[in-house]
Amino acid sequence: MHSACWQKRGWLRVGLLLAAIATTGFAHSRFETRSRVELGQLQVPSPDYVKLWSLGFDAAIADYYWLRAIGVVGAEEGAVEEQGEVLADLIDLVTTVDPWVGHPYRFAAVWLTRDREMVERGNRLLERAISYHPLDWRNRYHLGFNYFYYLDEQMRAADLLEGAIGLEGAPGYLAPLVARLRSKRGGLQVAAAFLVQMIESTEDSYKKAEYLKAVDEIQIEERARFLDDARVEYWRRNGGDIEQVSDLLAGPKPVLQRLPRAQLHLDGFEWILDPESGQIVSSYYGSRYQLHESQADRSRKQEWRELGEGAEAEGA
Amino acid sequence: MIGRIWAMAINTAREAIRNKLLYTLLFFALAMMLFGTILSALSYVDRERMVQDFAFASIRLFSVAIAVFVGVGLIHKEVERRTVYTILSKPLSRAEFLIGKYTGLVLIIWLQVVIMALFFSGVSLLLGAPLGFTHLAALILTAVELALVVALATLFSSFTTPLLASFFSCGIWLAGHLTRDLRDHGASSASALVREGTAWMHRILPDLESFNLSIEAAHQLPVAASDIWFPALYGAGYVAVILAFAVMIFERRDFR
Repeated sequence: MHSACWQKRGWLRVGLLLAAIATTGFAHSRFETRSRVELGQLQVPSPDYVKLWSLGFDAAIADYYWLRAIGVVGAEEGAVEEQGEVLADLIDLVTTVDPWVGHPYRFAAVWLTRDREMVERGNRLLERAISYHPLDWRNRYHLGFNYFYYLDEQMRAADLLEGAIGLEGAPGYLAPLVARLRSKRGGLQVAAAFLVQMIESTEDSYKKAEYLKAVDEIQIEERARFLDDARVEYWRRNGGDIEQVSDLLAGPKPVLQRLPRAQLHLDGFEWILDPESGQIVSSYYGSRYQLHESQADRSRKQEWRELGEGAEAEGA
Repeated sequence: MIGRIWAMAINTAREAIRNKLLYTLLFFALAMMLFGTILSALSYVDRERMVQDFAFASIRLFSVAIAVFVGVGLIHKEVERRTVYTILSKPLSRAEFLIGKYTGLVLIIWLQVVIMALFFSGVSLLLGAPLGFTHLAALILTAVELALVVALATLFSSFTTPLLASFFSCGIWLAGHLTRDLRDHGASSASALVREGTAWMHRILPDLESFNLSIEAAHQLPVAASDIWFPALYGAGYVAVILAFAVMIFERRDFR
């Protein structure tokens, strides 16, 4: 009788335990368990406030918010576009609490590109990065790239990229890129002079070869521009355009006696008419010496410009 | 005198080693370091640095917890168990008793910092994370900070209950980490009272941020020798002042 009572009590306890587990599971399944990142409800505290209350645990707290920033990017497709401000706030917090971090600055530069305002926020973070890591070429490169690619400020971009050229680990293509940016406003002579200066100042043979290649391209561009002038003259004399570059030497009224070399050191290359742009180009390079911009980039810049003008008009 | 203080210190260390709280907190500190390695796997860059950040944070957090929660019971236990009468009836002054108690606990806290540091080094070596002089400097200054926290716990333990002593010690530790920022924020205030008040708080309360080199260690930033010796000297001076107050209070205390 006594043992039967204990057995009954035992079963009752097991039953109560199972009921408690079931209730817990049921309740847990009935409420929202998605993270605040997924819900788009992530609230980022003020960086100064977090810095004040970090109580010496700055590095660990910065790491924690860095993981949250990665979570925003990795949450789902389109999350960065929707939560750009949150991401910018998170990176601002991380880099305020621990400004010596490296990668988060460039992470921000890569992801904060939704609109002009976001790019400018990314740029402010990169400026902070440069102040803490003045010898890291990558931050200057990203900042220069943002000015060139998103904000259409070639001269500012050239200045920033020029600052990165001499830093350790900087790739050889930076100086030719700066030259190309400078050529847009200052012309080919400015670009060539800059490269010559770079050639004289570097000891790195790989970089020197890169710069020499860029100087060659500028010389070919000068020749292409000479052929452009000849093409205009051909039009004036013959009342029509050339069908191929060799027409400049032939026809009833030729304008040239011979064509310059299309490649300075190698044979087998010629001047051709680019089927897309209709420009005279060297078959070696396939395009003219300029900053290349896709149609999508042109459209984006136009869209941003219109948005900016719209906002200004509203403000007025 | 040194011999009597040392004997007291060894006795206190033996007693503290038997405290289960010490082992519990030490276990959690080591567990949190391991958790840091899991957490760092969520990042695709700087994983080794993140492991070290979490390890440093757990060393500091749990060491302070041990210093406060074991430290506040130092005197109270002796009074509660009436053993203080037996000890003080021997040729041992109250000052020697208090300083001996303090020294014993500091030795134990430093020992557990060494254990955590060895574990930290092992984890770092396994993960290929860099270990350098700045890590050692950061650990040394953490040890100085802990000596100061134990002194605070000893001071409060000398005249109040363990609960209040732990509140006071945690409060001062908290304030000690805020005074620099408060002074900087206060400096831009329009009110002269706020400006002077925050400046004086920074002067009077322990400036515990001066013992924090965890960011420098994590990023392998250069640290000047003066960034180690002056804070260490400041910490030693501050400990001496706190212990002097603690002795003054303890010598006037009536145990009846």
